[in-house]
Amino acid sequence: MNVSRRTRCGRQAWRIIRVLSPSRAAARLVARVLALSVLAVPLHTLPLLAQGTGTITGTVRDRAADRPLEGARVTVVGTRLGDIVNEQGSFTIRDVTAGQVTVRAQFLGFEPMEQSVTVPASGSVTVNFTLQRAAVALSGVVITATGAEQRRSVGTAMATLDTADIARNAAVNTQQLLAGSTPGVTVLANSGQPGTGGSIRLRGVNSVSQGNNPLIYVDGVRVFNGRTPTNVGGRQYSSPLNDIAAEDIDHIEIVRGPAATTLYGTEASGGVVQIFTKQGANAAPSWQVGYTGGINNMGHVGPKSDPTGLFFNECRGDNLKNGLGVVFEDPTCPSSGSWLSNGQISRINLSVRGGAPNGVTYFVAGNADNERGVLPTGASYGRGLRANVSFKPASAFKVDVNSSVSSNKLVGFPDGNSSSGAMLNISRGPNGNYKGGGCTNPSATCVLNDSLFNNDVTNATTHYITGATLTWDPTTTWSNRFALGYDYNNAEINYISPFGDLRVPLGQYFQTLWTRQFLSADFASTYRRPLGTKWTTSTSVGAQMFDSRVYSTDLQANNFAGPGSPTLVSGSLRQITDVNQQRVINAGFFGQEQIGWRDVFFATVGVRVDGNSAFGKSFGLQTYPKVSASYVISDESFWPKNFIESLKLRGAVGDAGKAPGAFDAVRTWVPVAAENGQPAFEPSQVGNPDLGPERTREVEMGFDAGALDGRIGMQYTYYNQKTLEALIPVAQAPSLGFAGTQLINAGELRNQGHEIQLTVEPVRTRNVNVSARVGLTMLKSEAGNVGGETLTIFALGRTFVREGYPVPSYIGLKVANPSEIADPVIEQDTYLGSVYPTRIWTPALTVRLWDRLTFDALGEWQLGGHNMNAVGYQNANLKVWQPCYAIQTKLAAAAAGDAGALSDVTAWQRAQCTIVSSQRDYSFWVERSDFFKLRSVSLTYALPKSILHGIARNGSLVLMGRNLLTRTSYGGTDPEVSDQRDDTFARRDYYVFPTSRSFTASLRLTF
Amino acid sequence: MTNLRFHTAFAAGAVALFCAACSLSVTNPGPLQDSQLDTPAAIPALVNGMSGDLSFALGNYIDRGALASGELTEAGNFAAEQQFYNGIIRPEDVNPDWANMQTARWVAESGLRRMQEVLGAGFETNVDTPRAYLYGGFANRLLGENVCTGIIDGGAPQSDSVYFQRAESLFTRANTIAAALNNTKVATAALAGRASVRAWLGNWAGAVTDAAAVPASFRFDAIFSTNTARENNDLAVQTISRRETTVYGTVYAQIFKDPRTPWDTIKTSGNKVQTGQDGRTPFFRQTKYTTLGSPVALVKGAEMLLLRAEAALRTGDIAGMTTLVNQARAQYALTPVATPANENDAWTLLMAERGSVTWLEGRRLWDLRRWLVAGKNNFLQDRSTCIPPSANEVASNPNL
Repeated sequence: MNVSRRTRCGRQAWRIIRVLSPSRAAARLVARVLALSVLAVPLHTLPLLAQGTGTITGTVRDRAADRPLEGARVTVVGTRLGDIVNEQGSFTIRDVTAGQVTVRAQFLGFEPMEQSVTVPASGSVTVNFTLQRAAVALSGVVITATGAEQRRSVGTAMATLDTADIARNAAVNTQQLLAGSTPGVTVLANSGQPGTGGSIRLRGVNSVSQGNNPLIYVDGVRVFNGRTPTNVGGRQYSSPLNDIAAEDIDHIEIVRGPAATTLYGTEASGGVVQIFTKQGANAAPSWQVGYTGGINNMGHVGPKSDPTGLFFNECRGDNLKNGLGVVFEDPTCPSSGSWLSNGQISRINLSVRGGAPNGVTYFVAGNADNERGVLPTGASYGRGLRANVSFKPASAFKVDVNSSVSSNKLVGFPDGNSSSGAMLNISRGPNGNYKGGGCTNPSATCVLNDSLFNNDVTNATTHYITGATLTWDPTTTWSNRFALGYDYNNAEINYISPFGDLRVPLGQYFQTLWTRQFLSADFASTYRRPLGTKWTTSTSVGAQMFDSRVYSTDLQANNFAGPGSPTLVSGSLRQITDVNQQRVINAGFFGQEQIGWRDVFFATVGVRVDGNSAFGKSFGLQTYPKVSASYVISDESFWPKNFIESLKLRGAVGDAGKAPGAFDAVRTWVPVAAENGQPAFEPSQVGNPDLGPERTREVEMGFDAGALDGRIGMQYTYYNQKTLEALIPVAQAPSLGFAGTQLINAGELRNQGHEIQLTVEPVRTRNVNVSARVGLTMLKSEAGNVGGETLTIFALGRTFVREGYPVPSYIGLKVANPSEIADPVIEQDTYLGSVYPTRIWTPALTVRLWDRLTFDALGEWQLGGHNMNAVGYQNANLKVWQPCYAIQTKLAAAAAGDAGALSDVTAWQRAQCTIVSSQRDYSFWVERSDFFKLRSVSLTYALPKSILHGIARNGSLVLMGRNLLTRTSYGGTDPEVSDQRDDTFARRDYYVFPTSRSFTASLRLTF
Repeated sequence: MTNLRFHTAFAAGAVALFCAACSLSVTNPGPLQDSQLDTPAAIPALVNGMSGDLSFALGNYIDRGALASGELTEAGNFAAEQQFYNGIIRPEDVNPDWANMQTARWVAESGLRRMQEVLGAGFETNVDTPRAYLYGGFANRLLGENVCTGIIDGGAPQSDSVYFQRAESLFTRANTIAAALNNTKVATAALAGRASVRAWLGNWAGAVTDAAAVPASFRFDAIFSTNTARENNDLAVQTISRRETTVYGTVYAQIFKDPRTPWDTIKTSGNKVQTGQDGRTPFFRQTKYTTLGSPVALVKGAEMLLLRAEAALRTGDIAGMTTLVNQARAQYALTPVATPANENDAWTLLMAERGSVTWLEGRRLWDLRRWLVAGKNNFLQDRSTCIPPSANEVASNPNL
């Protein structure tokens, strides 16, 4: 199919000008003056170039700790001039127009500060700042769709992970940084394989069919927010988001909910994550090198009652038998007697930050990461390079060019619902697929599980991001930003079973070649001016264009001629099994007006208009409105500041959307081969020509408060989302010929919750600082009318969407009398639980001693969710699930006539461990997945000068651990894991290897 | 001046963006829009697709049908297949089988309607028309012989005989048009197909008439190929590439050197019989289909002889039945059997012979089912006798 819905350029351009202009005449005027703009640009800048200039120098320090605030940003208000504070706490700003200027120092987590100075022509002036830590910052700016916006004027909740948060987190990638970072964020690691991607949700689920990934912006440039294809054998994917090295990240802003993301338009209802990498500074080069070494370690695998740890912890010895007493032996079991070993971690990163006298600043960084897992295969190798360069061609202009390239290779092992899977085969004991000879015990079933690790499972990815941002501030009241971005992802995904494989003797080769390109152009202009003495106005307009392209080819070869390293042409059977080439364009524009009153109250109205080539023919441009307000009531004269010194009330309502898939509107047939290679067609997609985007409307309100001189901070947000015209995949009756689903705009999803973050700093002295925070996320998702049906998301996973229940839910057979000593009473078609957690607690503690030693810990409780323990389901049937051994023995005795055998066996146990095949059901293995994980613990020691001996200017030694402690009642291997080839929306723990813990030590030196 | 510059700059940016996006098109080469099949040039591939969908449905079902009807024993770890082997056919386990069979039927029937519209007056004389009718007939027969409930195009449930009725009509049209086009192979296959469905509808006289017109050596196959995975014979995948099912434990494991039910064993390096994928069950490998491209018979002259033999037995003509059975055996160079002493022995012989001739062709479950109803065979006693509407059909069909 080569569908083309071309729209003439002129008509598009005219339409956008016409919509933005109050009248047709005004639109004509805008169009006419368009040609003059190119000439006008240099004219604006000439007067500025003619004036004399001077230099501003100074320092920025933490008032309480009296230490330098490295990374703080110092700017000359109303200009693009500024610098980043170096590790000594000093800064230099050159080429400042002579005369009186206002200098602002700001650093995340601190109250910004401004001072006025007079800059002498051809001279310098010094200004020093001491910033006060703020539990809740109401000052400073955040980056929104319109550009930089005052934090106090934003009517929605925004969370920021600052440099300090990132530095003390033992995370190695963005996904780990986000886990437990702030209320409203749910991160689920899907697998224990090193380097695989997890699932990230902001404010839960508001789309059934179109994914719930947040949009991702890196340095103001939108990048692809999805994932690579899933490996056929490893059954996991790589996440391009994780290609951004944690060491390169300066801070992250998290924008949750459609009320805040309206101006990002279609596709933004899942929220927005803005990542800002480190930038250069007007200073001499500062080198930083870091080395991290450590291990991945796996504790006990599976149920604690199983001494063998599903035969991973023990693969040799007397315990190698199933519930029926069938003994097995694995001569390929490692000499240690366990499949598990410590996997080495080594990471090195090197960066330099500085600036040249001509105003060019730079941040250049490189990293090399090697990480091995805890099984014989399983590793992640990453290499990355970043270059961020800024320069000012003229005083009103600033150009930022940020580029990064990363190359990662994930070497995995077969996992999940793969016949060669590690968990599937090893945990099944004598029932695994790898049988062979060489055992010493002739009566034992002989398994050779080492063979499964001969399968090659690799995801090799290359990720290139470059963005160029031109900022033009011709006056102190008018700023313009134009950004071009290019995001290139490439993956070669292989799954190779070698010649001689016990399961596939002649071998097979699956390969996916995948390229994803994302081009973006983004323009925003904001004009601010006072209206009298009390009022201010800020008018913003902008337009964006996103061009998303995917090229994907699936290849397969079977039956190699012999041993050796195969290629795709080594197989006697070679097939191209799928080719996908799509291009989708989304273009839109926005306008926003913000009125401020006494810098205390702000009201904002905005609208986003989008077109998308995936909309059905009957859908034209889509409009998403928003209204928000913020009131910094603590700045009112009547506010008693003796206890709560800062309080901002905020509220917003807004829409955002999700476009349907590129060709969901079209009924299609796919070419195939039949009759021995003859050309043929088969039904592909049902199609629906009336498809439009789904629209999520959100109301949110809350407050940000700081009390007791910033020692206590609290942020609270209530939100209520309703997704209207939700794109619902309605299953087609297979008897209608097309076996898939048809999307319709028919559903309604509701999502509401509370987000609370409390920060307490009980001890704040020069030598001792203790701060704690706890975040609470409460989510309540519910399906409204979804076409009057129960929607099947994943039947084998018992995952559905049904009116009145969370999205999605487990629905199936329920044991009505679980605790009774009786046969189970089964209720049909019953709600079993929410798939995703409904409450998340994230406690964190930071203790800093003598500005030398810092202890940090972050934990996370996820409550209310469920997972399907399909390992238990399958293994119980195979009589190889240890928790069922005794029960199944009793069930067998009862079946043989022993009336008293079941005197202590509950109905629930009888249902789970049944020995009657017809009574088995996945439903009985849907279990609560509540867990607590100690996500990270770190101890940082700032090396004294006496140790450094002048080798480095400063340095630190960091001991870190991740996932050190897990507490859960979930009966499977890990409540977080899920086979990602089954379904990425539903969750099923189908033989997925669990996550491991890690211990690392890092040395960071600055030269 | 400032306002002018403001609008100027904005408009410049906006227009630049939209000029960059001048080609506001969405492309996806590969799939075809439904309307693009409305051309005579697309008809051959459309009909090939009917054949492909039929083969796909049949190929993916054979091993499950074989497990449910005692033609094979489960030797692997697939949960659903274990259920089939245990005689339990559940709606949630038959989603692919039900969907594949229904797709094969719908593609053929809707394709015929499209062909009539596209070809107009040329429909009756198009070389692909009788093939389309034929595949529609076999797709309906596959459903009729294996599923429990008649459901057409999302409609209300009705008797499963509706498939046989549709098949009879389609076979008749295939035969008529193929004969007019001198396409003897398709015409004969249609007669053979019609013979079987007429018998299942109780019209044994009509069945005998049709069957008698089919040469004893005739055979019409569902095509499989090693060309692509979708064209593979999945039974061969499960029994040649993998060891998921075995002849061990079936009555056929007691039959040696019968060309109709061939099997062998593989010895391990320790000179033991290789076990199946479950590591326990001896692996007796069927060798009827030795490659992933081995065809599966849809109709055979030998089956027609046995159909006539069964018709004879139903009238009590044991001698006549035996004659026809031996004519069928002669097709495989097998020695004749003696005339059974009584009707029970005759039925035992007939059922065994039919089982051997149609072994692993997706036909056995229906035979056992109708013989159970007739009181001739109790293999399916207390076992599932057919495929119920799939869980997906039940969940999505408002008429159920």
